[in-house]
Amino acid sequence: MLIILLGLLLVGALITKLNTPEPKADSQWKQHLAQENQGMQQNLNQMKGNDAYANYLKSEIAINQYRIDHNLEPAQGTTLWSFVEDSTSIMILVISIFTIIVVSTSIASEFNTGTIKLLLIRPIYRTEILLSKYIAALLFALLSLVVLFLFSWLIGGIFFGFGGADEVHLSYIGGEVQETSWTLAIWKEYLLHGASLCMMVTLAGVIASLFRNGGLSIGLTIFLLMGSNTILTLISKYEWVKYVLFANLDLTQYDNGTQLREDMSLGFSLGVLAVYYVIFVICGWLFFTKRDVKA
Amino acid sequence: MSRSVEEKKPAVKLEHVTKKIGGKTIIDDLSFEIYKGEVFGFLGPNGAGKTTTIRMLVGLMKMTKGNIFIQGHSIKGEFKEAIRQVGAIVENPEMYKFLTGYQNLKHYARMIPGIDKKRIDEVVKLVELEERINEKVKRYSLGMRQRLGVAQAMLHRPSVLILDEPTNGLDPQGIHDLRNYLHELAYKEGVAVIVSSHLLSEMQLMCDRIGIIQKGKLLGVESVNDFVHQGGEKVRLTVDDGAMAAKVIHQKLAMESASIETETIEIEAGREKVPVIIDTLVHANVKIYEVVSVTQSLEDRFLEVTGGKALV
Repeated sequence: MLIILLGLLLVGALITKLNTPEPKADSQWKQHLAQENQGMQQNLNQMKGNDAYANYLKSEIAINQYRIDHNLEPAQGTTLWSFVEDSTSIMILVISIFTIIVVSTSIASEFNTGTIKLLLIRPIYRTEILLSKYIAALLFALLSLVVLFLFSWLIGGIFFGFGGADEVHLSYIGGEVQETSWTLAIWKEYLLHGASLCMMVTLAGVIASLFRNGGLSIGLTIFLLMGSNTILTLISKYEWVKYVLFANLDLTQYDNGTQLREDMSLGFSLGVLAVYYVIFVICGWLFFTKRDVKA
Repeated sequence: MSRSVEEKKPAVKLEHVTKKIGGKTIIDDLSFEIYKGEVFGFLGPNGAGKTTTIRMLVGLMKMTKGNIFIQGHSIKGEFKEAIRQVGAIVENPEMYKFLTGYQNLKHYARMIPGIDKKRIDEVVKLVELEERINEKVKRYSLGMRQRLGVAQAMLHRPSVLILDEPTNGLDPQGIHDLRNYLHELAYKEGVAVIVSSHLLSEMQLMCDRIGIIQKGKLLGVESVNDFVHQGGEKVRLTVDDGAMAAKVIHQKLAMESASIETETIEIEAGREKVPVIIDTLVHANVKIYEVVSVTQSLEDRFLEVTGGKALV
């Protein structure tokens, strides 16, 4: 699975490399940034209500201004770090799917093959067996993230030059622009995506414990993962949508100003996710430990 | 073969075990005991509840009522202590096909403390899988999987060994070896062995006592010898005149006889009665061509007890 992950990264890098023209040095980048800022400022002035988007625009304006003031030219085209950043969300989706397959197979396929019987007649509680399967799946996800980081860095370096490795990352924190490390910024993004990863993997575990059928649980969870956005658009006009699991899965919405509803915040989403998580864990545990094994 | 088991405390004890699934009673008030050092056969037609009972014995299924104690530990309340004493195969010996036999054993060995490499090798040797142990299980024959299943069950030196249909897929030599091995375990190491099987003649050779279950109810637990002989020994006589012979025996010896054919009668009588019967008949001028003592096989007896229900 990790090899497929690396293969996808390589293909992604190749496509990006072939589709982007050689970056031209832009001697007038300061003027361009200033123009961009003007446009965004206009948007900001006309806009009412959408605080999240306003905040996002404010931070973009401040970062552009910072670049002009400190003579930090924005990188042109794809660089090592922008490749790492761009590959994040799609590759984490791939990792989610792989981990869902791992956790579903590890729990449910033992029922399909019948090996669960020989496993459960050891002096080990069913809770311990379920927990070790769950932890193993999460460790697999963590390992995949580390591999993703190292290799997207390496592949990004090989394709787009290691020269970009010491580029600084600018972030807008508490009304001020700060120079931070890219590594930190990327792992922050991994962490925000990680919440969704962890929830979907847990859900897959619950479905696997419930149906005791690997294929069903893989299919159903991946369907929910892929279809959640469509379902969300259909129901997004209702007030209660903010309590729906899928509305809270994407924590990056609070980072890039695309949050679903005004009355939601990072804290709110974490709270909702925590409630779902507890329900999932209790259900999964009940399904796995309390039912007869007929496999 | 006859050992006194009465004074020993039971290795496995079932107390009023009942299992209901969706309002239907699958197992109805099962109570019996299995002792150290005996091979106990669990016998019954398909769907009688043998496997369900075995699943409850090893904690894969919960009982609706009752309790099961293994070496005094309740499988419900003290699962770890109870199951620690048990080695088992439930239905087919399903192992991880993508692993080698050895890797499978190592996997199970890790889950119970105190099993070292030496013990794994010992068990492998015991089931005679040395040559193929490093091959993937998917390349094993059914018989080899069965033997690997036995190896897996034996790893932690359990004091109770439960084998569901252990002779399934074994060739005659394999069955013979398994039987000897189970006897050795029971008689030399004092393990309580529980086997279920459809092969009745096999059970007759393998088991000391058998419990018969039908439609979830226990019909009885008896020693194999008693069970077979309970129907009584019979003597089959071939004479020139069956009716005459029956009449003579009834009048002179007050014994009932059944006529099989016109020239053949069967008398319920032990070995010691045979000379008297012959003597009486000879004096009554009945010509005797053949005298055979008939012992019921376990299968005949089984069919009799379960009301002639077809097996297998």
